[in-house]
This record gives sequence, structure tokens and C-alpha cells, in this order.
Amino acid sequence: MRERILHLLSENASPDAVSWLQHTLAGQDVNFDKRPFYYAFSGVSRHFDKSGTIPKGSDETFGGWDEYRLARVALLLLLAKQDETTFVETFHALLNTADLREQVALFSALPWLPHPEKLLESAVDGLRSNIIDIFDSIALDNAFAAQHFSDEAWNQMVLKAIFITRPLYRITGIGNRKNQRLAEAISDLAHERWAAGRSITPEAWQSCEGFIDQRLAEDIGKMARSKDPDDRAAAALVVANEKTGTLEALRELLPTELDRIEARELTWKALGHSMEEKLTRKSLT
Amino acid sequence: MRFFDSHVHMVSRTTDDYQRMAAAGVTAIIEPSFWQGQPRTEVGTFKDYFNSLIGFERFRASQFGIQHYCTIGLNPKEANNEKLAEAVLELMPLYICKEGVVGIGEIGFDDQTKAEEKYLIKQAELALEADLPIQIHTPHRDKKKGTIRTMDVLEDVGIDPSKVIIDHNNEETVKEVLDRGYWSAFTIYPHTKLGNERMVELMLEYGAEQIVVDSAADWGISDPLAVPKTAALMKDRGISLEKIEQVTYHNPLAAYGQSGQVSETDWADSEGIDPTALFEGNTLLRGGMDVETAMSQYLIE
Repeated sequence: MRERILHLLSENASPDAVSWLQHTLAGQDVNFDKRPFYYAFSGVSRHFDKSGTIPKGSDETFGGWDEYRLARVALLLLLAKQDETTFVETFHALLNTADLREQVALFSALPWLPHPEKLLESAVDGLRSNIIDIFDSIALDNAFAAQHFSDEAWNQMVLKAIFITRPLYRITGIGNRKNQRLAEAISDLAHERWAAGRSITPEAWQSCEGFIDQRLAEDIGKMARSKDPDDRAAAALVVANEKTGTLEALRELLPTELDRIEARELTWKALGHSMEEKLTRKSLT
Repeated sequence: MRFFDSHVHMVSRTTDDYQRMAAAGVTAIIEPSFWQGQPRTEVGTFKDYFNSLIGFERFRASQFGIQHYCTIGLNPKEANNEKLAEAVLELMPLYICKEGVVGIGEIGFDDQTKAEEKYLIKQAELALEADLPIQIHTPHRDKKKGTIRTMDVLEDVGIDPSKVIIDHNNEETVKEVLDRGYWSAFTIYPHTKLGNERMVELMLEYGAEQIVVDSAADWGISDPLAVPKTAALMKDRGISLEKIEQVTYHNPLAAYGQSGQVSETDWADSEGIDPTALFEGNTLLRGGMDVETAMSQYLIE
């Protein structure tokens, strides 16, 4: 992993910065020392380019990351090799004193760090942040939550992601952690929004699959009759995946969508992806 | 004109102040770590204070188009609580290399005790280790001796005077500070420190080399517009624009720029303040800035 990160950085960042990082990692490999490690972790900002990023598409995991984040994750992988006490204490010392971009790096590194049970509470707490970048670093493209969160913590995360309109398809494990309580909470949230004349992201209905009771069947029916094509696409996905036959009557409302599902053109991922693109375009104009 | 106020405690100031500062041309500020009017009793409150300097205050300033930097340090008053001081010194390495931290400060003497000297030395050594400038607070009582003693202590540690900004100077201290190669900062602070007419006289006598003007506005009766007001007074009294810009903008930038953490490019692309901008649907800024009223009486006594 370190080699992969150093390779990506060497292709994009300044040679001086990369050589500083290599030198620092080599030195700390031989003799780990907290204080120089603190200096290095925060000092990434003294060496790398503030706005430098790894191009999207150049790496499945790290494409789109900024240089600070990637360099700091390389340092955290080195910290991960230390004994449990040193690792846990240092991780928390860094987190408790971190600036925004340092917090993003610390949370991004979670899937590759040891002793997850000692980091769990910090991850759950991090999601309480009002800063979108911090929320995203835990909730999106990060396998930690799906592996280690309780249902309660998972549900809070998904609900908040719906609430602040984050792209749900990028939540790792969104299709596997569905549960009754979450499905009910999503229905409740939708009803609150509708009462206020607003809507929820169509992606939310994915987490209700497998828990379609009478009330949720009515919600999906409402979506199947919606004027918004994304609502109808979501309804069709739920209908197609419903095995009990509860939603059979809705099929006739969604012939085109169901054909697209049959042809594998329409999936939750494809829907989420197109919605995220629309959101990005909207924020750019 | 644009200004760099290299000493201002914004945690104690309101958004009205930020608004007026931005409108008066304050482009960048440095917020030094200092005491908060009453002694802290736990190291945790230092941690949260430092966190606010690198976090929320930076964000708050950015909402007004102002670039915010800070210095991290244990102030001399609280250095006298040695148990606390030790814990703060343990904490400082976590902060001093962070983005936007432009020095160790403000440190120095208050009562000029042994404990104050001990932590001045320790923090000077930290600055040396991290290759950072030092921002010095000089004592209000027995100022002249305290200032000279500060310079002696720093030189014993091996600090290069050109990396030290000595603040709160006056007519009695300025000559030796400049002669020994330090940056000499003057705090324009009503009643207790220096009025700006005296500052004009000092400029006429000592010129602009190595001289910095700041406000040190804090929780007391102070003036966050002290730098632009002093510039206006200097202009009225016939000091050249070039010299005014040097002491209110270029010199602080050069002195703290030695940290590598602040440069003009940080705000070169900034299009200035947009009073109608929204942050997550909210606005901190409201129209109708009363800068003309604020600037109409620029004499600080």
C-alpha cells in the first residue's frame, strides 16, 4: 500500500515533497518517535501543494484525493505498525488536535488501521460534524462503517446522509446493511418532508428493500406515480427487487423503468451516479 | 489600501469588527495565542483554544474575506502555573507545524519570574527545532529591563534576531530592539499602550525599516481598526504611502513569511468580500457597512 501511495504521489506531487515523505517514512521505520511524527503529520502542509490532487480515474481508491490526504494516510499506515498503546494514543492525540484536512485524512485511513474497536467511537462521533468534508470522509467510499458500526450508528449515518443530500451509492455496504428500523425511519422522514412540500433523495428507498409493509408500499406507490423520473426509477428498483409480491400492482405503472432494469441499464449505482452528476452540475452553475 | 494586522485576538471580537476590518482593507491577520482574561485551570482548555485558532476562527475570518493565521504558545502569565505549563508544552508539538501556524507566540515575560524564564527558553528551543519565527510579548511593568532580558535569553538559546518580532514596544525600548536586529512591533492600543500620534513621531524618528504596526485588539477596550486608522493618520501627517505600506503590510508579511506558512499568493486570487454570499443557506454578513463612520475619527489616544 505504501508503495502504491508513493508511486501515485511521485507521478503528481513535487519531487522534493515526495522525497521528504520517503525520507521521513524511512527514518520513522527504524526509530518511531512521537514528536517528529507529529511534526511530519501536520508538516505535510509545508511540503505538498495545497491544491494538488491525484487525477480521478488514475487509481480506484485514491483517484480524486488531494495530496495532503494521501501523504498523511501513508504516515498513518506507518503508525499502524506500532504497538497497540502507541498506536491508539497517537491516533487520538492527532484527532483531538486536528485541523479540517487532518481530520479528513485520519478518518479516510480507518479501513486500513488496526484495533478498529478502539477507533469506533471516534468514527461515530466524527459523523456529528457539521462540516461536509468530515462527514463525507467517514460516510462515503469508506469501508469502516459497514464493517464495524452497530445498526444504531449505521442508521444514524444513513439518515444524516439522506438529510443533507449526500450521494448514497458511495456509502460502502449501503445494499447490505438494510434493517427494519432504518426502513421505518426513512418512511417517517419522507412523510415529514412531504408535509413540508419537499422531497427526499430517491436513493433513500434502497434501504427500505426487504421491509415493505403496507405503509412503505404506499410510499413506493407514491414514488411510482411521481412526475420526477428519478423517483420513478427508484420505485421501479424497489419493485423489481421485491420478492413477496406486495408491489406487483405497481409494475404496470413502470414498464419503461422495469425494462431498463432488465437490461441492467438502471441500477441503484447508476441512479446514484447520475443524481450526483446533476447535483455537481447544479452547484457549478 | 490593504493591511496586515499581525496581532489581533479575534476570539474576543464580534462579526461587526470583522465586517469593519474587511471594509477598511484588512486583508490578513495573525491571532496570537494569549491568556483569556482569567487563568485557565486545565490543559484541555488550552487544547480547545488552540483548536479554535486553527479551526473555527479561521473559518469565521474567511467568511469576511480575511485570511487568518495564528501563533501557538504559552503566555507568560500562565507560565507561572508550572504543572499546567508542563502540560501545555507537551501539547504544543501537535500544533506548531500545522498549516497557517506562522510562529511561536506570544511568549516572553510578564512578572519576570524564574518560571517565566524557564518556559520562554523551552518555547524558544521549540521554535528553533521547528524553524519558526517567534512573537514576543514584552511586559507592561518594568518594560525596558524586561525587553532587554528577553533578547538576552533568546540570544543565549541561539535564536537569530531576524526571526523574532518583539511587540508592544515604545519610545524607551525601540532603539535597542532595532540595534540588535529584531523586528520592532508597536501596538496601537488606547489608554494603556501606545496612541497613534506617538507612532507617527516614532516613524519620523526611526523610519520604516524593521517596524511593524498592529492593534492587539482583544477583550479589553481596544480597536480592531487601529492599523488602518494609524495609516490614515500617517498619511495626514505627510508620511509617504510607501513607508505606510511597509509598516502596515510588507514588514509583517516578511517577518512572519519566514515560517513558509503565509504568502501574498494566499489572498492574491481573492475577489474580496461579497456581502451577499451565503454559507449553507445562512449569511454572516449584512449590508450597509458603516466604514466611513468608523474611520472618521481615526485618532487613538
